[in-house]
Amino acid sequence: MAGLSDVAVLVLSLALGLALGYSLRRKRGILKVEKLVLAIILALIFSLGFSIGSNSELLAVMPSIWLNALVLLVMVLLFSVLFAKAIVKLVKI
Amino acid sequence: MIKCVLPTLAIGVLAGYLNNMFGAPIINRIFSECLFNFSLISLLFLMGMLFALDEKATTKMKAAGLKVLVFPFAVASGSLIGGFVGGLILGTDVFASMAVCAGYGWYTLTGPLAGQLFGLKWGALGFAVNLLRELVTIATAWLAVKLDKYAPIAMGGATAMDTTLPIIVRYSGQETLITAFSSGFILTMAAPFTITAVAALAH
Repeated sequence: MAGLSDVAVLVLSLALGLALGYSLRRKRGILKVEKLVLAIILALIFSLGFSIGSNSELLAVMPSIWLNALVLLVMVLLFSVLFAKAIVKLVKI
Repeated sequence: MIKCVLPTLAIGVLAGYLNNMFGAPIINRIFSECLFNFSLISLLFLMGMLFALDEKATTKMKAAGLKVLVFPFAVASGSLIGGFVGGLILGTDVFASMAVCAGYGWYTLTGPLAGQLFGLKWGALGFAVNLLRELVTIATAWLAVKLDKYAPIAMGGATAMDTTLPIIVRYSGQETLITAFSSGFILTMAAPFTITAVAALAH
């Protein structure tokens, strides 16, 4: 999603889902949506790939910046996970 | 599931590339925007519903309580330190590297913003690093979860509230839905401020 206004749509979708889930709690055996969820995840990943593939500017600039991008990516992932692991231990989430 | 995810991503990239060369802009719009928004919104709705239906997951979530709110601050600090160390390793502008990493995976924001604040090269890096952060999270969440249940949420950063959320929940468990979503939400809100704050420190 591109803008902050879209964030509101995402929060609303989640909230509606939560509300419906709570209201359906007592009713058993009505939901078998695992396969549907997987299909939609794949649709999302496909559309993500599609938008990357059609971004010719990004594909053109990648060969000149890939090393810097790789180093920053590895560092940002490494330290994010380390800090997260530390905080999970510290506050016992 | 990962066996389906990576080929689907690769086919998507190829389809987008071919469409860009031979196809029509309307097809790009249908797949990149309409399908993307539709699948994201319906996934959040369905995942919210599944979470609320799962009584064990909600009990675990209640036990963690407000503690989950400190999680994104750890991810933000880790990202900034990661950018700093990365800048030192590359022998380049550490503030620009930190700003690029302060996008927390939100590439559509970081690309243009870092470009405006630090120049074209950093704009491209802002886009690439954050896009790769998202892709690597999708591709390696199944592995990262063996290290720590919360590792995929930290890797996903701001994207843990949207694109990487379904993958995170799949591997880290239903009970991590709210932790992941709230972490992604807080980081999404924080990203524009941290990027501009780092730029202000640099100039």
